Amino acid sequence: MNFDISGAKIFFRIPTGIPILGDILISETLVISWLVMIIITGLCIFLTRNLKVENISKRQAVAELIVESANNLVRNNTGGTKFDKLIPFVSALFATSIVSNLISLVGLRSPTADLSTEAAWAVVVFIMITAEKIKAGGLLGYLKGFTTPIFIMTPFNILSEIATPISMACRHFGNILSGVVINGLIYAALAVASSALFGLIPGAVGRFLSNIPFLDVGLPAILSVYFDWFSGAMQAFIFTMLTIMYIANAAEG
Amino acid sequence: METQQLVTLVPWTFIAQILNLFIQMYLIKRFLFKPINEVLEKRRQLADKEIQEARTAKEEADTMKTQYETDIANAHAKATEIVQSAQKEAQIKADTLIQEAESQVAGMKARAEADIAQERKKAINEVKDEIGGLAMDIAGKVVEKEIREEDHRKLIDEFIQNVGEAS
Repeated sequence: MNFDISGAKIFFRIPTGIPILGDILISETLVISWLVMIIITGLCIFLTRNLKVENISKRQAVAELIVESANNLVRNNTGGTKFDKLIPFVSALFATSIVSNLISLVGLRSPTADLSTEAAWAVVVFIMITAEKIKAGGLLGYLKGFTTPIFIMTPFNILSEIATPISMACRHFGNILSGVVINGLIYAALAVASSALFGLIPGAVGRFLSNIPFLDVGLPAILSVYFDWFSGAMQAFIFTMLTIMYIANAAEG
Repeated sequence: METQQLVTLVPWTFIAQILNLFIQMYLIKRFLFKPINEVLEKRRQLADKEIQEARTAKEEADTMKTQYETDIANAHAKATEIVQSAQKEAQIKADTLIQEAESQVAGMKARAEADIAQERKKAINEVKDEIGGLAMDIAGKVVEKEIREEDHRKLIDEFIQNVGEAS
């Protein structure tokens, strides 16, 4: 039995002829990203229907809880209301990340199992961090920050600066990809085990049953509690928290 | 079907995901944060308004209470004053009445006394005249001679005086 793990499927390839950017690939990643966006936006619209000031519905209570938690998360970690304009961005990041991670539960391929996605987010966050640093200390102050504590340290400082987005992207991507790989391995291994187990039954019945991977039912669900649920939620949270922390730290100088 | 590499960076996907993130940010802002924050703000304003109203009502009640207390105190003072003045007036009136009555009584007594004295004088005079006449009649009959009244007046008066003193 062969088992192989490949990247996202490519549905269309739109040739552009631009040298570095290459062709536009309408891949699984993009299609499912759009699906994730539709789910999140639909959920937002659903939750905020019929808003009332008094005597609110359960739906509205959930929506208010989400908004309050987002506000509190950002305000508590940045210490004040200075970064309130960041709340929708952080919420979008978290929502997209967690829904993308958990969408693998319904058998779709997570958009976050494609490094392009995390790289895109990490670069946006990196630009925000840098912009915040420049805003706090001026361009000169920002550049001078690289020579501290001594001039010799400059290359290392630059490395550590660049390491921030790379580590953020790779941490998230690695976790999700490892979930995909491990789940794939488990499914394949259990199918093999199932085949071997039922192959012991002699005759046509054994041959028939050995083609059905019975062991694939149940056990992978338990393992997916960690590899999909926990890891997915955790990585979304870590990515969001790091974003808030880095930006808050950058503003402090 | 064609697939990507497992670990790869596709430039257009990268760009698309950046755009997706910002579109998602706008959508969440527009459909979740804006309406919910508006509702929360409205609720906060409502609560503030109610607290403000309650405070105003309490202040009004306090003012009214103070006013009522002042009014009641004033009313008490006035009532006391009225009672006192009424008592005083009544006392003065009573005193005047008593004085008037006393003076009236005194006047009546004086008049009565004067009347009595006059009556008495009158009676005495009448008696004197009568006695005088009688005396003259008696004397005329005794002397058989008309005594001229003027000539003997002095004598008669003297007599009467004596009678008066003796009586």
